[in-house]
Amino acid sequence: MSASSDPLAVLRRELRAWLAAHRPADWREAATHEAFVASQRAWFARLVEAGYAIPHWPAEWPGGGRSLAEQKVIYEELARADAPRLLLSFVSTYHAFATLHECGSAEQQARYLPGILRGETWCQGFSEPGAGSDLAAVRTRAERQGDVYVVNGQKVWSTMAQYADRCLLLARTSSEGAKQAGLTYFLMDMKAPGVTVRPIHQIQGDEEFAEIFLDNVAIPVSERVGAEGDGWAVAQATLSSERGLTLMELGYRMRGALDRIADLILAGGRADDAGVLRDFGALGAQVDAVCALADQFLESRMAGTEQVGDASIVKNAYSRALRAYAALGVRLGGIDAQYMAPITYGDLNSGNWMADFMNSYAWTIAGGSEEVQRNIIAERMLGMPREPKGWTLA
Amino acid sequence: MTIARDELRDATRKTLGEAGLMPDAGQSWQLLAELGWFGLAAPEADGGLGLGAEAVAAVHIELGRALVPGAAIAQMTAIAVLCAAPDLPDRDARIAAAIAGERVALSLDPADATGLLGLVDADLAREVLLVAPDRIALAPIEQATGRPAWDLSRRLFDGTAGPATVIATGEAARAIHDLATRRLLLALSADAVGGAEAALDMAVDYLKTRRQFDRPLALFQALKHRVADLKIAVAAAEALLWSRAGDEASLVQLGALKALATTTYCRVAEEAVQLHGGIGLTREHPCHLFLKRAFLNAALGGDADHWTERAARAALAPPSTADR
Repeated sequence: MSASSDPLAVLRRELRAWLAAHRPADWREAATHEAFVASQRAWFARLVEAGYAIPHWPAEWPGGGRSLAEQKVIYEELARADAPRLLLSFVSTYHAFATLHECGSAEQQARYLPGILRGETWCQGFSEPGAGSDLAAVRTRAERQGDVYVVNGQKVWSTMAQYADRCLLLARTSSEGAKQAGLTYFLMDMKAPGVTVRPIHQIQGDEEFAEIFLDNVAIPVSERVGAEGDGWAVAQATLSSERGLTLMELGYRMRGALDRIADLILAGGRADDAGVLRDFGALGAQVDAVCALADQFLESRMAGTEQVGDASIVKNAYSRALRAYAALGVRLGGIDAQYMAPITYGDLNSGNWMADFMNSYAWTIAGGSEEVQRNIIAERMLGMPREPKGWTLA
Repeated sequence: MTIARDELRDATRKTLGEAGLMPDAGQSWQLLAELGWFGLAAPEADGGLGLGAEAVAAVHIELGRALVPGAAIAQMTAIAVLCAAPDLPDRDARIAAAIAGERVALSLDPADATGLLGLVDADLAREVLLVAPDRIALAPIEQATGRPAWDLSRRLFDGTAGPATVIATGEAARAIHDLATRRLLLALSADAVGGAEAALDMAVDYLKTRRQFDRPLALFQALKHRVADLKIAVAAAEALLWSRAGDEASLVQLGALKALATTTYCRVAEEAVQLHGGIGLTREHPCHLFLKRAFLNAALGGDADHWTERAARAALAPPSTADR
């Protein structure tokens, strides 16, 4: 097949031309989180209109029905063009979509999916102060009272919940039996009485996450996804909705941002400092290896040969490379890097080295901590025995 | 190509499998020659299999896994040089003989300007290839003096050579030197990835079997997390290997790969001995063989310091002058 007629090449060419004309060049200039969110809304709307926002949705949706290979091209080009990442709409287009598509009723799908394309945003109400890595330990209670469930509890680490219209909520309807068996899944209106959202002030100054307090929030029974007690299974559909594309995109973006370290080396007059050069050269290979891992993971998904643990390997390899990237920047930045500078929202490799370093924890802790991923690799990939269930002080 | 790669790996593994870890050197050599694998990457017109660099990596991964002794890395690199040399006397016969297993020595010692140090199995070779950036020559080996290395799977010799026949100069020599170095780096990287995989498998198996405190060691999370991190490192090295195992990867890209792969191998082998506890310190247990091969691989063909520094210089240079 010639390069001009290969559908992937055509897609790449069209998208590249479109991005050259439409990529917002000023997205790093948002001075506040609110301004960043506004720019995210505008960028998402533009991508929806052009048909690039929801390539993973089914073909009946405009811009949907793209193969994984096509999705890969889209994210490669977004990274290459240094376009803003789709952060505000991520939970909506991936998590909410997958949940509704796989487990939602036809009525729920009809009610919510079109809204996502109009810019309605969703957040995820899974983690709690007492349920982090051990997600099944969720304690937020949902009690059936006639046609509604009355919900009380607290959620935490909910990405951009302060801007969300709706929430994917995991709550406990029963304390009987296995802790997974007592969970039920709900679609919650964030404007409902009793919902209070408080942004979490992060160590680098961002407010990417929020806490959600639930005080006698009434959720209609029609907003339950699946049956009572099916919450754990539905949550798996939510969590497995995006596999690999984000890490591939982030890997490519980090590779592009190696230039920031190169600039720092040159500006600091250290281009002949062998120690610095060796660390920079090793970092380059580490980042390239992460990109190769992410590519390989997506290829295995396309071929249907993905194995349990593959995603954990890519995630940990990426998050460690991200930390190493920022750490080298901090080191080379010297005292300059210790003076506070405004953060760049939505950029993990911003060149604000201390901020980047602190931001990198989001990847070693969020989305299944590095330690949980190691357990998955050891137990489910290398076949080492699982921890015994019971636990008592000796 | 992935399928061909996996098939080749399987075939190599099955072929080598019966002989176990660190099989007999002579028999392994014979086997590789009979299968035609020394000529894997050589053009079909020259009697090779014409399979390219990826196939070379696939075979060397398995040779590394099984700790196959001998000079396969040097031999396959030498054959690439012979095929590319413009002025090789008795060209076809020499290439055919080399593919059939007639040994041609080639130095893997990065510090060696003579081309006569660090020759594997040079006592069994009649000729040595002297590969310099401006001059490629072939010379008879007059004497080979063994210098036992810690690595028990590679017998190293220092040689003396008779009058050399120049087989390439100038631009051709530069291109061949570049090709030889790239193939050498790829082979060493593949050997490292295979060895690291095998050493990690061995350590994981040991942790599952060995019991202390009334439970298998594999139940301890401190140990699980260590091997999980090793698994991630090996997977990353292997992914980078395949992404650069084509003929289009540059010298510096392969050097950076070699740095990452051999550093990973050293780390995994070091941890494998530690995770084996006392038994890992005994000669009867094979774990130490990986450690020794890993460190020799790290030193051969330019070390990690050399290649990471060059990779950084290439990244810092303007594209037109970059060291590619």
